[in-house]
Amino acid sequence: MSDVEDVPETQLEIDDTEGAELEDEDDDMEQITAQKVLEILETAWINEMCAPEILPSQADMLELMVSQVAHMEEQMRDLDKNDFRAVVHSMELERVRYIMASYLRCRLQKIETFTQHILNQEAGREPDDKRLSPEETKFAQEFASNLDEYFHKVATQYMPNQQRGEAEQRIVTPNLMSHVFLKANVAVPAVIVGVDDEEVDMAAGSQHIIPYQLVADLIQNNQAQLI
Amino acid sequence: MDPSIIEFIGEKCMISIIPNFSNEPLHLIYGSVGPFRAGFPVFVPLWMATHLRKQQKCRIVPPEWMDMDILEEIKEEEKRSKFFTKMPCEHYMVVAQLVMSTAPDDVPRCEELRTVIKDIFDIRESKLRTSIDAFIKGEGTYAKLDNLTLLEIHSVRPILPYSLDHIARYQRTATASQRDTSMLSASMAASSSGPNSNSLFSQ
Amino acid sequence: MSGQTKMFGEKAFDLLKELERSSQTIPAFDDDGVRQVLEEIKAIFEENVAQASTYNASGDRSLWPLLNFRHAALQRNKRCLLAYLYERCKRIKALRWEFGPIIPGDIKQALCEPEVTFFNNYSKSLAAYMCSAGYNQGLPIDLTNNLRPPKSLYIEVRCMEDYGKFELDDGEVIHLKKNSQHYLPRAQVESLVRQGILHHIA
Repeated sequence: MSDVEDVPETQLEIDDTEGAELEDEDDDMEQITAQKVLEILETAWINEMCAPEILPSQADMLELMVSQVAHMEEQMRDLDKNDFRAVVHSMELERVRYIMASYLRCRLQKIETFTQHILNQEAGREPDDKRLSPEETKFAQEFASNLDEYFHKVATQYMPNQQRGEAEQRIVTPNLMSHVFLKANVAVPAVIVGVDDEEVDMAAGSQHIIPYQLVADLIQNNQAQLI
Repeated sequence: MDPSIIEFIGEKCMISIIPNFSNEPLHLIYGSVGPFRAGFPVFVPLWMATHLRKQQKCRIVPPEWMDMDILEEIKEEEKRSKFFTKMPCEHYMVVAQLVMSTAPDDVPRCEELRTVIKDIFDIRESKLRTSIDAFIKGEGTYAKLDNLTLLEIHSVRPILPYSLDHIARYQRTATASQRDTSMLSASMAASSSGPNSNSLFSQ
Repeated sequence: MSGQTKMFGEKAFDLLKELERSSQTIPAFDDDGVRQVLEEIKAIFEENVAQASTYNASGDRSLWPLLNFRHAALQRNKRCLLAYLYERCKRIKALRWEFGPIIPGDIKQALCEPEVTFFNNYSKSLAAYMCSAGYNQGLPIDLTNNLRPPKSLYIEVRCMEDYGKFELDDGEVIHLKKNSQHYLPRAQVESLVRQGILHHIA
């Protein structure tokens, strides 16, 4: 988060009442505007929809946005619900809520599809590199045991000769070589674009179709985004 | 990605309206809009413009590029060029469609515009199909897609990446089965040396 | 060999085909079919175990292809059966998103008991997750709402059945009577529209 720019603060109030600044409890963190948080969430949402694997959670950004939405709703309480301002603000909040909900749903879908694979990967990651939020991890574990229990009760307990490898064979993994559409946010020199190590310089703003795995790191460090 | 999501993203485009009311600026999360002064143009996001227009609180000012002369020229250029030309707006189809369906009365020569925009889209789509065909036949796995808009990319979204994924999968399977065949003959050879070496019913 | 006239794995494949063909939300759990597949698995396994010991004792390598073939048939049976169960799970999960935490009675009849348990556990996990996803704000994000990008705050709806009273967030109570028309906040009536109680008039 150290790369968050110090954007001039957008005022977040509705009327002339005092607006809240979005400030993280952590003093080391730079101040970040609600506008910037929304941009980050929007990018994360679209990346998540387009990427075959689950990406690092934006739980802290979500938390900031949820409190921003709550704050604005609080301020709107006194406005007539047909007031022009109230209507426009509610419309925007609906849009923000949709992005947050769609983002979380998309992640849940991946968690349900690749449950065991994701849990295995998480187990091998350092605390700072975990991709799931604690809530998602809990959900994933519950889902895995729920599904296992169902399989066991209906079928696997009656199957003779369960070989140890078989449960592993059932693990669904994402196809990281699946093709994605990509837009470079900045100029990125010498990106390997093919199995034969062919390289391409990506200009800022240029668009490409390419196997995900070759650009996964560009997406994570925000040099490029999926479209 | 559902088309409604493409539209949702396109609705963030800023567009000029002329409100028939006055109001202080609104501080949206996405940024501030206004102040609104009756009769004076102001830029707002498209989603807000279409809402206000439906409430008859404003007139929409069509973007500069929604003009017959400009679009005819773009169309000719698109025909001439081998590559995709740069569109005047990243979401030209979404913007045109929303503006013309919400506020046809605010758009001079609306029907003609509709036709020429559709023409441009069709020319680009057919170009897109041709290049995809060449791309797949050329067994490519990477391509540059400059100047394609999100909606156009979306129009090939299921088919293009999926077919490339499938081709890649077949190639991997082909390589793997070659390997398997050689491994299988190796293991058959091994099993002949000792009957207990097969693993099918161990344990 | 059991079922001389039948091919190995046929029943298991039928399970899948039937499920795929069914136009219902979720067809009845094929208890009988599942049992038959499990029996076939067991039978194949026992035959193979018996012959494997012959093979091990005699070293008669002419048995090898047959052993291999049976093993493949066994794996295919397992795979089809688990695919059948997995696909049903997916549909059962979809029920939670569509109808909420209670399965409509007619659909519930189609599920076997472990499936109902699966649904209840899933429903509970999801609810707990959604509560915690609201973070410390005590503001759960209802993920089963906001399913489509918002277009307008209010929508025109026609009521398809006598639903009774419905309270809006601001406390206003409306009576949803069959064929009555209302102009309501989209976000609050989304689930009623999805359940077919309200019809969105375009």
